Amino acid sequence: MTTQPILRVDHLKAHFRSSYFGVYREVPAVDDISFDVAPNEIFGLAGESSSGKTTLMKTIAGLITPPLELIGGKAQFSFMPPETNLYGADPAQLARIRWSKLSYIMQGSMNVLNPLRQIRSIFRDFAAVHIGGSNSDFETKTVNHLSRLRLDPSVLDAYPHELSGGMRQRVTIALATICRPDFIIADEPTTALDVIVQKEVLGMIRSIQREMGSSVLFVTHDMGVHAALTDKLGIMYAGCLVEAGRTADIFNAPQHPYTRHLIHSLPRIGDTVQRTGLTGTPPNLANPPSGCRFHPRCPLASDICRTERPMMRQIATEHRVACHAVAGDDA
Amino acid sequence: MTALLTLNNVSKSFTRGGILSRHRIEAVKNVSFTIENNRPEIFAIIGESGSGKTTLARMILGMQEVSGGSLTLEGNRVGGRTRKERLAFMAKVQPIFQNPFEAFNPLKKIDYYLLLTAMRFGGAVDIAEAEAAADVALRQVGLSLSEIRGRFPHEMSGGQLQRVAIARALVSKPRLIIADEPVSMVDASLRMAIVNLFGELRDKLGLSIIYITHDLATAYYIADRLIIMQKGEVVEAGAAREVLSDPQHPYSRQLRDAVLSPQVTGSLSIQ
Repeated sequence: MTTQPILRVDHLKAHFRSSYFGVYREVPAVDDISFDVAPNEIFGLAGESSSGKTTLMKTIAGLITPPLELIGGKAQFSFMPPETNLYGADPAQLARIRWSKLSYIMQGSMNVLNPLRQIRSIFRDFAAVHIGGSNSDFETKTVNHLSRLRLDPSVLDAYPHELSGGMRQRVTIALATICRPDFIIADEPTTALDVIVQKEVLGMIRSIQREMGSSVLFVTHDMGVHAALTDKLGIMYAGCLVEAGRTADIFNAPQHPYTRHLIHSLPRIGDTVQRTGLTGTPPNLANPPSGCRFHPRCPLASDICRTERPMMRQIATEHRVACHAVAGDDA
Repeated sequence: MTALLTLNNVSKSFTRGGILSRHRIEAVKNVSFTIENNRPEIFAIIGESGSGKTTLARMILGMQEVSGGSLTLEGNRVGGRTRKERLAFMAKVQPIFQNPFEAFNPLKKIDYYLLLTAMRFGGAVDIAEAEAAADVALRQVGLSLSEIRGRFPHEMSGGQLQRVAIARALVSKPRLIIADEPVSMVDASLRMAIVNLFGELRDKLGLSIIYITHDLATAYYIADRLIIMQKGEVVEAGAAREVLSDPQHPYSRQLRDAVLSPQVTGSLSIQ
């Protein structure tokens, strides 16, 4: 594929820095991450808690507030002028882009709606400025869009507490997609839902994405969701991207020892093979292990892993791994 | 065979609203099952949120009164009537909660909980005995007292802390453990270790575990029997693998079909 990526993340680094009472702490939550997202593609990011997934999302979306600081690298969207990050961009430009080009479905998105505003007012607050037109036009557009997510127009009169969790989640998705953005960042949008509702919501995200041709950056720790939804997948461990590639390749032939373990440890219905957990605990990012951050728990660790940090290497078409043990021979 | 825990048409209803708008909510309706004394097992209760599985667990733990039917542990009413009976009951039935970080007070050292449990329920008369009992329990989950002594909850990872929570439950040598979503807050790489630990406890210590979850895959993996609940009622019950391989009730089928398998079946596996 030679198409221009819609998002190019290039050696992005963002650290939490704090200094209290003379104690200085630096937590490298996003450490040298690079990947591309093509148009009309769902890129998934997986990793356990505190592996830096949400921080990466925030850095890409430009939502950087202290103690988080951008150290280096860039996240370049194709709809932005070249060589500009969202972070530090002109507020007027940001206001134009936000919601019409780039939207963000937050973590715990059931609870992000303002409890004191009716759904109709929330839609107006967010989207009216980008869509324009008269009030009645906007209303028709909203109702049409809601029907795509199988929501009744009567939800517009409701307050958030009157809706169930699944409905609120769908309202949030409707809000994020009503302006037909080119890029949607979805951070754990379905974790609080029951499995039946979750499947429904994922199906809707998928069909809306296919219909509008937007790209989605989808973050969740649930590997089942990744298998069902995403086209490409990146695996994060302790602030680093350790493996990235097509979802099918990663599930069928995982290369990095962490990914391999993650995929083999998943229990499946109809399969009674004994599964094991990984020994050791996830590293503390304030004091990460030297070299490869996975080496204290890695069955394949050798001396080089303890001292030298592995770089991302291409091992097959669109399949990259950061591991000395896997791609040790080529440079 | 004597029964360890017997539920006979157990129901629970809550009354909501004032005088004019009063209505009853049936949280649990006519649930019956038995766990045998000399056949330790992992018994899974599966259902979506609002299906009454946590209410059922709270009733088994004696934290909530039963509003209909009978609930007995070794023939005695759950919860006990006097303080002495209640303490004896609590020594036999112990809970493990979903989020270990919420279950422990962040301002107290974690060994405090283990020692307190040993003194109150484990029959330990002094600190030395309590420490010995705590150490035995910790070794059963792959930790030791020297590792955790003097540490606060925030110094541990979620998986470690959940192990400590399990050890705490084991200190009083219970017959039954009620685990309410014990792995949903634990990192993926550590989750299976905790699930396997439940299997070990069942096989080595002869404990029965009531495993409450919405995760069908781990229930299939570890549970011996299960019930599936919907809106307070049991819609399907039986041997875990049989039920999940071939669910009969439409709701169980729907639930099973909604499980996203970690297998790539083509790019459009959800419609």
